[in-house]
Amino acid sequence: MTIQATAWVAYGLPLAGCVLIALLGNALPRRLAGIIASGAMLGAFAFSVVVFLRLRGRTADARSIHSTLWTWLSAGSFKVNMDILVDPLSAVMLLIVTGVGFLIHVYSVGYMHGDVEERRYFAYLNLFVFSMLILVLAGNFVLLLAGWGMVGLSSYLLIGFWHQKASAVAAAKKAFVMNAVGDVGLAIGIFMIFKQLGTVDYLTVFERHNELGFGSSTINGICLMLLVGGLAKSAQLPLHTWLPDAMEGPTPVSALIHAATMVTAGVYLIARMNPLYSYAPDVQHLIVVIGVAGLLMAGLTALTQTDIKRVIAFSTMSQIAYMFVGVGLGAYWTGIYHLTTHAFFKALLFMGAGVVIHALSGEQDIRKMGGLKRWLPRTYVCMWIGTLALAGFPLISSAASKDSILAAGLEVGGTWGTLAFVGGVAGALLTGIYASRLMYVVFHGPTADQAAHDAEHHTAHGEGPATMTLPVYILAALTLVAGFLQFPSLTTGMSTWLEPTTYGTVQMVEAGTSNEWIATAAGSIAGILGILIATVLWRAGRSAPVAFPRPLAILSERRFFWDELYHYALFVPTAWLANLLRGSLERYVFLAAPDAVGSLAGVASRRLSVLQTGIVRIYALAFAVGVAGLVLYFMVQAA
Amino acid sequence: MTPDVGNYLLVSAAMFTIGLVGVIVRRSPLVVLLSLELMLNSANLVLVAFGRYHGGQDGQIFALVVMGVAAAEVVVGLGLIVAMERRRMLLDTDEIAELRG
Repeated sequence: MTIQATAWVAYGLPLAGCVLIALLGNALPRRLAGIIASGAMLGAFAFSVVVFLRLRGRTADARSIHSTLWTWLSAGSFKVNMDILVDPLSAVMLLIVTGVGFLIHVYSVGYMHGDVEERRYFAYLNLFVFSMLILVLAGNFVLLLAGWGMVGLSSYLLIGFWHQKASAVAAAKKAFVMNAVGDVGLAIGIFMIFKQLGTVDYLTVFERHNELGFGSSTINGICLMLLVGGLAKSAQLPLHTWLPDAMEGPTPVSALIHAATMVTAGVYLIARMNPLYSYAPDVQHLIVVIGVAGLLMAGLTALTQTDIKRVIAFSTMSQIAYMFVGVGLGAYWTGIYHLTTHAFFKALLFMGAGVVIHALSGEQDIRKMGGLKRWLPRTYVCMWIGTLALAGFPLISSAASKDSILAAGLEVGGTWGTLAFVGGVAGALLTGIYASRLMYVVFHGPTADQAAHDAEHHTAHGEGPATMTLPVYILAALTLVAGFLQFPSLTTGMSTWLEPTTYGTVQMVEAGTSNEWIATAAGSIAGILGILIATVLWRAGRSAPVAFPRPLAILSERRFFWDELYHYALFVPTAWLANLLRGSLERYVFLAAPDAVGSLAGVASRRLSVLQTGIVRIYALAFAVGVAGLVLYFMVQAA
Repeated sequence: MTPDVGNYLLVSAAMFTIGLVGVIVRRSPLVVLLSLELMLNSANLVLVAFGRYHGGQDGQIFALVVMGVAAAEVVVGLGLIVAMERRRMLLDTDEIAELRG
């Protein structure tokens, strides 16, 4: 089998799983749906590994493979193929999506067991993976947009999976609308590319990117519109407000879609479009600013949130902001590197949180937890691994990947590089604090009565079904080793592997050894300091008397008033206008006009119905007169 | 010596008019049916006359078809009249005006 064929099989398996579950419907035993879905994912992962290994077997410049199945649509000179682009970058994404996806499918088998709509859940989950694969493997912009939209759709379906919950439905709608804004941005960007270059094929666009002109307003416009798509999908400022609400979905969904894969699509997009972004330095600087602002804001917000999943959601936003900083600095590999390690440790944290929620009969409020390490010792250890990774503890994944972003900041230098470095280190401190706070409040100190009762009951036979605990252990192990993919002075796996994904004259930023060590030291010290501060403050668990300065606490608790801003800036004026129009235009024109037409017909028919006497002789007379009239008419005509 | 075709037309027109006036003026369903037959047969007369005039058989064949249709129509009409009689309804076409708008 060629690499192309292998990739196509990996592509098709989740779709096959989804279609199979959907078609069998109620004929399928509930338990089997999860097994089919997980099996499809295992197959897809196996094929992805084969793709990766065979790609590795090639020389660096022969690792970009383009394969077309058929012409999707063509109109004149415009042609879009159903094609895939397999190269080092999409291979990394392929491994993450199918690998982490498989683990989360297995976890879902345990987590969703007993749900009446298990089958629907697994069909959606497979559909999501298929959409994500379209997105990362697309060989042209139109297919990218299709994947972009389908990922948004499956995210919508899964956030609103528990459709009997009004809050879940509202959250799903919010996510969908926010993502639609991004889709429009992306589409406009693609239109602009087509207008300039007359093609939507990746490789052609990348080869001809210099025709757009370095730093020209054209390329800035294109990159800006693509960025809007990325910001919405990746929940970055200012289109981030849907992510915390998306936590209404089942926890495995949060782990897969809203932590490991979908929300990183923006980072992938910018890394993929490196030939374009490298020619638009202004937009790159904007990305760095948005990233730094986002990581600080999300970090501050995470400090006071009380929902276990929302704390992790804000940490996701903050970590993706780091990735944006990385790709914004032109160090595309650092963003993808952090994306990889983040996929492991964030999925780990979410799945750990899922075990906790499962053990407490669905309780998500950390103020009603506390002291859970007594009942969930293994989850406790695994989540500490994830937390240390998140906080950037030396040697554990994020330390290496986050610090590579800081190092890139030092390497780039100047205003933007320094901003990235300083902001990143400050963010690392915040990360250490809020990540450890979550651990102390949930696992240490006294336990709430209800939580103790539930935990006692649910953990009588271990911490959860094996399908839930095993993926957590595997991810914990992966988290521990992922930091050695690239480590200063030791390995350069990531940057070497991703080197061929740049095109033309684009050079990836790679920090020198001294900068790497400075960044590692700064990041680690900030992280450890954060953990220590949290230890001092929250040692006593949920009963710890911690009071933030009032303005900060309000900003943090209300999430910097973004929801209120959108409410008053967009919703209120729109609602006011809608009400105004309903009272005037709608009432006097759009409602009145059809009514008038209707009553006109009524009046006219009532008048005309007088002719319908029901007396046959009159009909006969009318008929005879009519015929006589016609005969006369034609006789006169003929004469 | 066959009469001129115009004579047939005159007779036919007279029959048709009598029939038409009968349909319009009379209120007894039975007489209305009779008048209808008169109209149909006036048409038949014209068909046959023109058939002879042109020397073909088409007109005569068509007249036979009309007779068949007329026979069927009379069956339905008489059936209706019998049904009305059995329901003891007044045999007056002006009284059956339920379809008044």
